[in-house]
Amino acid sequence: MSDQALTRRHFLKASGLIGGGVVVAVALPGCAFNGRHPIEVANAGFVPNAFLQITPDNEVIFYCPSDEMGQGIRTGLATIIGEELDVNPANMLVKAAGSHEDYNNPEFGVQGTGGSNAVRVFYEPLRQVGADTRALLLNAASLELGIPPEQLHTVDGFVVAADQRYPYGDFVETAASLDMPVATPLKAPADFRYIGSEAPRVDALAKATGTANFGIDADLPGMVYAVVVRPPVAGSKALKFDDSAVKTAPGVLAVVPVSSGIAVVAERYWQANQAAKKLTVDWEKRPLSSVTSTQVRQDLSAALEANDDTESSHVGDPEKAFAEADRILETDYYTPFLAHAPMEPLNATLRITENGADLWTGVQFVGAAQGVLERLTGLPRGDIKIHNQFLGGGFGRRATLSHIVEVAEIAMSIDKPVQLLWSREDDLRHGFYRPAAMMKIKAAANNEGRITAWQARRSGANITAQTMKNALPGVLPSLPTGLLNGLVGAMDYVFDNWAVDASSVEGLHETYSLPSYRVSHATVDHGLPTTFWRSVGHSYTSFAVESMMDELAEAKQLDPVALRLKNLEGKPRMQNVVAEAGRLMTAMTVRKNHHLGFAAHSSFGTDVAQIAEVSVTEGHIRVHKVTCVVDCGLAVNPDIVKAQLEGAVMFALTAALYGQIDLEEGAVVQSNFHNYPILRMDEAPAVDVVIIESETHPTGIGEPGVPPLAPAVANAVYRATGQRLRDLPLKLA
Amino acid sequence: MISFFLNGEPVSFDGDPNTPLLWVIRDDFKLKGSKFGCGAGLCGACTMHLDGTAIKTCVLPVVAAADKAVTTIEGLGNPEVLHPLQTAWIEHNVPQCGYCQSGQLMAAAALLTGKPGASSEDVDKAMSGNICRCGCYPRIKAAIMSVAESSLSYDAAAVEARS
Repeated sequence: MSDQALTRRHFLKASGLIGGGVVVAVALPGCAFNGRHPIEVANAGFVPNAFLQITPDNEVIFYCPSDEMGQGIRTGLATIIGEELDVNPANMLVKAAGSHEDYNNPEFGVQGTGGSNAVRVFYEPLRQVGADTRALLLNAASLELGIPPEQLHTVDGFVVAADQRYPYGDFVETAASLDMPVATPLKAPADFRYIGSEAPRVDALAKATGTANFGIDADLPGMVYAVVVRPPVAGSKALKFDDSAVKTAPGVLAVVPVSSGIAVVAERYWQANQAAKKLTVDWEKRPLSSVTSTQVRQDLSAALEANDDTESSHVGDPEKAFAEADRILETDYYTPFLAHAPMEPLNATLRITENGADLWTGVQFVGAAQGVLERLTGLPRGDIKIHNQFLGGGFGRRATLSHIVEVAEIAMSIDKPVQLLWSREDDLRHGFYRPAAMMKIKAAANNEGRITAWQARRSGANITAQTMKNALPGVLPSLPTGLLNGLVGAMDYVFDNWAVDASSVEGLHETYSLPSYRVSHATVDHGLPTTFWRSVGHSYTSFAVESMMDELAEAKQLDPVALRLKNLEGKPRMQNVVAEAGRLMTAMTVRKNHHLGFAAHSSFGTDVAQIAEVSVTEGHIRVHKVTCVVDCGLAVNPDIVKAQLEGAVMFALTAALYGQIDLEEGAVVQSNFHNYPILRMDEAPAVDVVIIESETHPTGIGEPGVPPLAPAVANAVYRATGQRLRDLPLKLA
Repeated sequence: MISFFLNGEPVSFDGDPNTPLLWVIRDDFKLKGSKFGCGAGLCGACTMHLDGTAIKTCVLPVVAAADKAVTTIEGLGNPEVLHPLQTAWIEHNVPQCGYCQSGQLMAAAALLTGKPGASSEDVDKAMSGNICRCGCYPRIKAAIMSVAESSLSYDAAAVEARS
């Protein structure tokens, strides 16, 4: 059956015929079953909308619109929809959604996962889907059983009438003939059975048994393997290359120049990997080719000294307030480039046939991946399917599309399904990076610790402009290349000259209520590609802001927590978080030679404070324990909230102690985990998490645990050693 | 031709003897539970057992497995019959992205086979070859310790019963 261009009603009937079950459509906001149905319907049973499928034998399948990269979103969103549908998420089969506009992220307008927004933006829409579907099932049950709906209720996938239980699956055929109720009232939080409870992750069993499928696990009949030899300096083109030794290597099938380098295709991955080493390439020189890390730092400093930055925002008259201050602190803080280094190296498996294209991968940007394949292959969008798998880590890295472009270029030149795999060296040396940042913070406070004036300036490469340059070809697949290049150029011009990329300066003032402040930015872009890295701009701005808060407290001889509380007027949620963390800190028994450091930061709508317990022995910084206090609104699954904070602490501590991507002659120096170390178990601190009880709308949790960690550790190191470390990674003199 | 036992079954491989065992297992025998993370023996995502010892297979030529017993995550347990560590992994909600977890489990299983009542320090030492980028370490450790402690109490009970 062709399911293209079916009207909803046709679709309903047609699917009902083939499946033995039934399908009804429901108009949800942004969910309209336009064109191809989002769910592959084979013996479908009841498919009331893009998110749910209920089979006659009562299997409830949830198609999760957000990509699971460890943050627990499949569990979180299953809990949300299950709450109102009245099905325990543990009893659902949760699958990754296919590529379809019905799964667009309501805030992004395309299908994608990032910005810690999934629970926040899907919280109400998915509850409504669940509630309406449950109401429909009750109506169907009422008709079939001849019992008024008000005498029926539901318990975990069953309709209950007096002492009889009927599985939802019994009513799917009748349900298909009824209209979907709309705007069904939602449960009151007091009636929640699943939301707010600590429940197991729905993917724990698969991930504990090696049966969870990642992009790298795709394995198609006749599949061949590709690696790409890329230039040492980002963006260089091959002037000439010699592949004679490659082509005679065992298993090699083809050498394919692609836009990012030279691909080697072989029968086996290992053959491609080995053969690629025999390739010799002359790469062109780029402006980046002469850049070293030392120069990056100097250039970022010089840009701030030159004073031609662009204002991002201001309140009041900070210059006047500085003029009236009796003492002003002004300090530079520096953070380096960082790589994401997800455990699963980038990969993509593409099969192009006369019927269309199928992509198996792990991306945070399904909509753009589909778009970029549409642009490159020329196939109709509806014929391009993205089979998004579990992501072996994302952290922002998998919102970029370079590996999708590469696999498309390779697959179009050979007549076989192909799996492209990046090595760890490729990942660290040819990636998109968290940009380096120089931040100059100038602050004055009165004797009570109330900040009177604040100026925060940042120099470095923009984050959003660079990310969008990579994504635009996929987001706007129909835009002709000429116009696309024009748009990309315009974006650079805008951010270089007169607008400030909000992501690049986020966090420089927002946590506190400041009576006067000015935030500004100087773009310095050396040409190393940059993108979002877990917590984005907050990942560096928090280090500057929260270090300065400690420096101010010291200058004013005030307790660091008390100083922060003085500056949280009108921010009751963060005030409460800081106060709670302050109480915990006061009550802590600190071991001899251990020292505590405090930091707090608001990001992605969530407020987090952290207390780091640190010792320093012979110049070695050891973090023993981190206590986190978080207010993320209603915690849909408190255990996952805890896990995200535990993980964020490890991720941020890796960056605080080791994280550094260096450039030599424009090439990234680091290549694998020996020189880009990741925190290991024997260095991992204990993590305590206190979640502030809340019934307010949920806010982000994947990222907000990262920003406070580095300054909390640095502030503790200061107490331990008297050394105020203003550079990351933290290195004692 | 290189012959070895894969999860108890005799198998043989006819390709390049220098191919790392990981790729033979993944691409030739199609067992995808063991993962590629670094290709340099630095992260442990590829950990399997070779005659019961945890080993990083992304740098182990398949020829080194000749006539030996290779155990992968698929041989440790399965969704129907879980290894006690896998049960503990689920009870502690250990995995986040999950990519490193097969290797973590194989390293942990080898540790507890050799040292059923492993101490906290033993766990740190044995597990520090395995990177988890999501930072699940506190839970990995808690899960291993729960099994180590239950095996201790089991052993103690067994000793008591014998005496």
